[in-house]
This record gives sequence, C-alpha cells and structure tokens, in this order.
Amino acid sequence: MFNIEFNGEFAAFFIFSTIIVCGAVLMISLQKVVHMVISMAGVFLGLAGMFVLLEAEFVAFVQVLIYAGAVSILMIFGIMMTNHQDAGGEKVLPLHEGLAAIGALALFGLLFYAIRTTDFPDPLPFQGGEENTMKIGQLLYTGYIVPFELLSILLTVAFIGSIAIARRLPEKINGASGGDNAGIGGGPAGPTAQLQTKEAE
Amino acid sequence: MGAWLNGPMTWGNAVVIFLWGAVFLMIVLGFVTYAIYFERKVIGWMQFRQGPNRVGPLGLLQTVADIFKLLIKEDTIPRKADRLLFMLAPVLAYVPAFSVLAVIPYTQKLYFADLNVGLLYYVALSGISTLAIVLGGWASNNKYALLGGMRSAAQMISYEVPLVISVVGVILLSGSLNLRDIVEAQSGGWFWNWNFLPQIIGFAVFIIAAVSELNRTPFDLPEAESELVAGYHVEYSGFRFAFFMLTEYVYVYAIAALTTVLFLGGWQAPAPFLEFVPGILWFLLKFVFVVFFLFWIRATFPRIRVDQLMGLGWKVLLPVSLLNVFLTAVYIELFIKG
Repeated sequence: MFNIEFNGEFAAFFIFSTIIVCGAVLMISLQKVVHMVISMAGVFLGLAGMFVLLEAEFVAFVQVLIYAGAVSILMIFGIMMTNHQDAGGEKVLPLHEGLAAIGALALFGLLFYAIRTTDFPDPLPFQGGEENTMKIGQLLYTGYIVPFELLSILLTVAFIGSIAIARRLPEKINGASGGDNAGIGGGPAGPTAQLQTKEAE
Repeated sequence: MGAWLNGPMTWGNAVVIFLWGAVFLMIVLGFVTYAIYFERKVIGWMQFRQGPNRVGPLGLLQTVADIFKLLIKEDTIPRKADRLLFMLAPVLAYVPAFSVLAVIPYTQKLYFADLNVGLLYYVALSGISTLAIVLGGWASNNKYALLGGMRSAAQMISYEVPLVISVVGVILLSGSLNLRDIVEAQSGGWFWNWNFLPQIIGFAVFIIAAVSELNRTPFDLPEAESELVAGYHVEYSGFRFAFFMLTEYVYVYAIAALTTVLFLGGWQAPAPFLEFVPGILWFLLKFVFVVFFLFWIRATFPRIRVDQLMGLGWKVLLPVSLLNVFLTAVYIELFIKG
C-alpha cells in the first residue's frame, strides 16, 4: 500500500501538492478576501508545476499566464473596488465542527484506501516528445477546428456583451443631466471617457 | 549549461547549477548598478549637465553609494498596512523578474534553460510582477499607493495584450516558441534577414508596448512623481523599495535581451564578412544599443495622459498588431508555402 519510489519526481510532486493543498485550505480559512485570492494564485502556480511534471509545458505556462496572472489580477481589481470590511467570525458549534472533521477524515481514508489498492493497468509509454506544443497547434487546426472556432465565437460574444453592459450606465447618467454636454469639450467628457475605457477592459 | 540541466540530477550537479545561478545573479546586479549610472550620465549629457561625478572616479561609485544608503535605511512598515502582503509584494515582484532571464540565449553555446516554450514562459512569468505591484499598492493602505497600483495594473494588462500579439508574427516566421530556434531562423548572413525588417510593424508595436510594460517615460504614469507623489511604492523604504527598483531595472535587462533575440538576430553578425567576431560581442552590442535607446526615449519624451494611454493601447496598438498577424499569415501562405 505504501510502495513509493523516492526520486526527484516524487520530491517535486510532493512539494507541488503541498503548495496546492495548503493554498486550497488557506483559501477557505483566511479572513480577508485579498489574502484568499493570493492563496488561490498559489494553487494555480502549484498546478502549473504539476503540468510541467507531466511534460505539458504549454498547458503549464498558459495556466500561469491566464490563471495566476490575468484571473487573479481581475479578481483583485474587483475586490479592491468593493467595500472590504472584515466580517466577524461566525459562531461555530463544536458538535458541528467535530462531526465535519470526522466526516472529512472518513472520506479521506476511503479515497486513500481505494486509490492505493486499485491496480491501474500499465499505461502505454507516454509519447509527449520534444514538440508537444507544435502537436497541440496541429490538432487544434485539423481535428478540433470546429470546437476551436465555436469557442472563439463564444468568447467574442461574451467580450462584446460585457462592453455593452459596462457602457450602458454612463450614458444614462449623461442623458439625465442634459446629454448635450456629453462628448463636447475636454472638461466634462474627460472623466466619463476615462471611466468607459477602464470599464471596457 | 544544457549538459548539466539535461544530465541526471545528482548533488554535484545541483551545486553546479546553484553556483551558476548565483554567478548570474551577481552579473545582473552589476548590470543594474551600472545601468543606473549610465542612465543618469546619458540623460545628464542630453540635458547639458554633468550627471553624477563626485563619488569615485567619474562618479562611478555613485550607484554603489546609493544602494548602500538604501540598505542601511530604517525599514518602515505603516501601522495600518497589511503586514504580510506588504512584505510579500517586493519578493513577488522580483522573483519573476529574475526567473524570466533563464530562457534568454546569449550565444549558440551560452544559455541557461533551453525551453521549448521559452517565449510563453517569459510572457507568463512577467505577468506575475503586475500582481505584486497591485498588492504592494493595496497593502500600503495609502490612497496614492493604491492609485499608483491601479494605474499600473490597468496599464500593464492593456499593453501586455499587444506585446504578446506583436511577437506572434515572429513565431509564425520561425515556427517555434523556443528562443534559440527563433535566433537560428534569423541566420542568413545579412542584417536584413533579422526579424526587425520583415516584421517592421510587429517590431514597432513591440517596442512601444515594451516601453509601456517597463513603466518608463513616456508611459511612466504608475510612478508619475508630479501627480501621484511616487506611485505604488510611496510607503516603501530601505531595501524593500530597493527591490522594486531592482525589479524595474532587471526588466530593462530582460526586455533589451528579448528585443535582441526576437528582432535583432541575437548573436548573428550583420554581414557575412564580419562573422569572425565572436557572437557574444554582437549580442552585447545590440543589447547595449537597445538599453541606450530606452534611456534616450526617457530623456526626450514628455509623459502622456492616462486616457491617451488607454486609447493608444486598445484603439491603435491592438488592431495594428492583429493586422500584423494577418499580413504575416497571408505572406507565408502566398510566398513561402505556395
């Protein structure tokens, strides 16, 4: 049940999984929302490390670029714009907490036992090779071209939709306070235009 | 380096790799020290001033003295700041800045990591520094710092998009994300084989977006002294402030090296009869030229307004870089494949 081979790969796997698990636990248990986002960014980075271990470099660095970079910054932006007062810790019933702990431990034991006793069939030797990025590109533009294009259209629609929703509010304000001034002269148009470009991001 | 990285991981190899990393860190710190000196001198001469000339011969020790001053200053943390994030932010800014340098190839034999997605690695890690800047601004609990952090994030995200799209043309031409293969694809003897002429639109977009990513004039809005007190690092002092400054100059190194590799042919000589000069010298010459160019821009341009900045990024650079991708694809389809 505990036949583990201790080599570099196992050490790296252990470190990355520690990062992921710690990040996930902290994400739930921390009090401030910004701290939660940072621990989630830690989880994303750990996942990227896992992808590198699996020889999927392209997916790994796209993970860093999109999730650890863009998504985390977007969430922090959103959180900073909102009011972040600490909500006082909720009262927890000791009985409830104890039962939850027992349940979680039992689930862990069950999963651990099931995974360690299962005989996995020996997988075929992995043919990742040197140029797996090139292979992903070729597959995307041959076999998977239709889903790829559909996804692009979906993202474009979402993008345009979010711009449309973000733009509606300032126009209403302008309309209410005499729409003639809007857009004429540097003074009144300046801040509105800025707001619009910022929201358009 | 490749032999060590691909060899089996023994303790001996680990020590060798670690020592190389330490040596490289020293080289980068030396570069940053003298890049600051060089910048102040060049800007001084352009403005009919002397620049630093008191500490040491020709003022050569001026930056060393400045760094020493920063290191012995009191390390202050505002009482109402978020302590943990305040301390984490400079680290989180510097680590990616140094890590991206791992994939830069200097000559055919002198490189650190030969990564098959080198360019993507660079772009992905440099995004994390933005996160650190926003966090530093937020954790300071100061409205000027927050404003600077927000401006910085808005600017860096807006300009990262055209920056990434502008290099797609280079990737199309060389058919690889590996920086060494990209340099190899620019061989051919003459300087017009380098990517900056076939990819002239991409090159222009890349340079503008890169200056903006570096937060340097004319795009230095995140730390516009006259508008924002200092920007996201108002509350930082001593060595934590030094780390933010270090990050910026390490990114100058990284962007200059990346421009050399992607558009200026890396270690390739500009003409066949000049190939007897070792490649590292050509790399250094181009690299120093790009660094000088960045300082030159800083000395001569005024700062642009924040709405002009966003307008330029989204309404000009993004469409132009997309057009560049389209034109490159059409060119390859018509003239190279057909």
